[in-house]
Amino acid sequence: MNKLQIKLEDLKDKNKKALVAYLVAGDPDLDTTLELMHLFVNSGVDVIEIGVPFTDPIAEGPIIQKAHDRALKKDISLKNIVDMVIKFRQTNTDTPIVLMGYLNTFISHSDLIEESDKLGIDALLVVDIPGELKLDSYGISNPNIDTISLISPTTADTRIKQITENSSGFIYYVNLRGVTGSSNLDMTEIEQNISKIRQYTSIPTLAGFGIKTPSDAKILAKCADGVIVGSSIVEMIDAVKETKDFSKIEEYLKDLNRAIN
Amino acid sequence: MSNKENFPDVNGFFGEYGGKFVPETLMCALDELETTYNNLKDDPTFIKEFYKDLSHFVGRPSPLYFAQRLTEHYGGGNIWLKREDLNHTGAHKINNTVGQILLAKHMGKKRIIAETGAGQHGVATATVAARLGLECHIYMGAEDVRRQSLNVYRIKLLGAHVHPVDSGSATLKDALNEALRDWVTNVDDTYYIIGSVTGPHPYPMIVRDFNSVVGQELITQSNELFNKLPDAVVACVGGGSNAMGAFYPFIKEDDVRLIGVEAGGEGVETGEHAAPLNDGTPGVLHGARSYLMQDEAGQVKDTKSVSAGLDYPGVGPEHSWLKDIGRAEYVAVSDDEALKAFHEVTELEGIMPALETAHAFAYLPILMKELGPEANVVVNVSGRGDKDINTVAQIDGIEF
Repeated sequence: MNKLQIKLEDLKDKNKKALVAYLVAGDPDLDTTLELMHLFVNSGVDVIEIGVPFTDPIAEGPIIQKAHDRALKKDISLKNIVDMVIKFRQTNTDTPIVLMGYLNTFISHSDLIEESDKLGIDALLVVDIPGELKLDSYGISNPNIDTISLISPTTADTRIKQITENSSGFIYYVNLRGVTGSSNLDMTEIEQNISKIRQYTSIPTLAGFGIKTPSDAKILAKCADGVIVGSSIVEMIDAVKETKDFSKIEEYLKDLNRAIN
Repeated sequence: MSNKENFPDVNGFFGEYGGKFVPETLMCALDELETTYNNLKDDPTFIKEFYKDLSHFVGRPSPLYFAQRLTEHYGGGNIWLKREDLNHTGAHKINNTVGQILLAKHMGKKRIIAETGAGQHGVATATVAARLGLECHIYMGAEDVRRQSLNVYRIKLLGAHVHPVDSGSATLKDALNEALRDWVTNVDDTYYIIGSVTGPHPYPMIVRDFNSVVGQELITQSNELFNKLPDAVVACVGGGSNAMGAFYPFIKEDDVRLIGVEAGGEGVETGEHAAPLNDGTPGVLHGARSYLMQDEAGQVKDTKSVSAGLDYPGVGPEHSWLKDIGRAEYVAVSDDEALKAFHEVTELEGIMPALETAHAFAYLPILMKELGPEANVVVNVSGRGDKDINTVAQIDGIEF
């Protein structure tokens, strides 16, 4: 088992839910990203999801799109991100790290993906590849890290089966029809779909998209094995990029952790 | 005869190009579209409905016109013009939208979205949506909204909503991103009319098939007018829908040269252009794998072209495949060459081509030297140039 599987298993044993926090690497700069990753861990985050900036992030709402743009203006590439993860691993060896991004960026760095487990990365989430396709068909293969797939409210039952068979680590359930940072969660639909996913797989199902407040997280944690929070954190990071006063983010993450457990 | 036209395969690939690389939420919509299209494409009632609209609403067939003075000007072979500029709304784009709106109708979708670059696809989409009384939203890069203000107003007059897109380079690529985001959000009731042979499967196939009426007519008209098939068919390539529509029925005819002309911008050698088939590498953008203008880190590069409709870093996957197997040739001409051709065709033939189309004409000086005096060359006049008058006037230093 790798770090991600160990962490999720451990939380399950303790009857706890996972808190996954997202940030875009290099927004506002890589030193700050590194600082924030440690702050995340100290504030009760179980898994860190690092957004790899791309010029055309079609699944992202305006908040995360702008963060991608800001990071790209600083010429952030996957190579820089991996170097930062190596630094993070000098003092943190157990918090799982998931890279989330778009196929074209990963294809262009297939050499890094091949070595990614040795570089401290635990899983890959490629937003724009259908979950039934195998990443190694696209030259990005590493059997030692997990492949996280998305399942959405519109995924047909036959495909849920194929996707779960092809996934490891956790299933990322997309709460809504929309881009990141949208609102309008339909709890009845979410509960039904997550229980449907559970019929096909025993790996944990975490819920993401549209989670803004600790009370959103609390409701979702009742049916999912954990929650993934992105846009609201990215928005808070941007708001304090000058002052670097991250106390509100710390408070917010602690509130989320309390809400789900 | 060959079987090079029997693509895409069941997974939506033309060789190693194409596919469906989209966020999960859209997979069901693509499957639904593919099933609908496969059920309807050979249905005689659907075909009749489509061709009726092409005749009576679009005004097809478009003429194949002998360009007397252009032919004399080059002094080589005969130059024929396929007059897609004479279609209703002024470009080939209407062929595809007439077809896709029928699919939307059959699928019971109430809301139509589209992206547009030069605005011609936006106009064509707003036109067919108005005709059926459907709500219509057009995404357009803010930079293109500025360059193509006439078309923006036309779209609004047709009752559609125009959404300027500020992100990225604020051109066609960003309009496509935003249209995809709208579709992800409103997937249940919305039909996305993609305007080129780009995007995820089944779009490159559907758009090609609907626009192939151009090439089919060309075969009939060539036989009628000069008793054989043309020696070469020339078309501009941005996403590549006008070229694909003209090329597709000729793919199996190995003796017909198929020539796609990309936007060379400041010159391919400067890197400031929109010519991925000439100076790009395979990558994944907007749901398909195809040639792409990208840097070493896999980030999509900004493009440069005087023509908004060609200002796109990607290209339809079937073109990438035709390039690799050597069935079609892809060249590039610069902004300056295209502008020169725009004036030349306008003055010699009394036909003002779109700046996109002017790129196809701009390759004639080279092509006509290669071909003998008996050769018949068809230029696909993909659209008319009225929409570009402001751009050309500005370049010529004229203020209204």
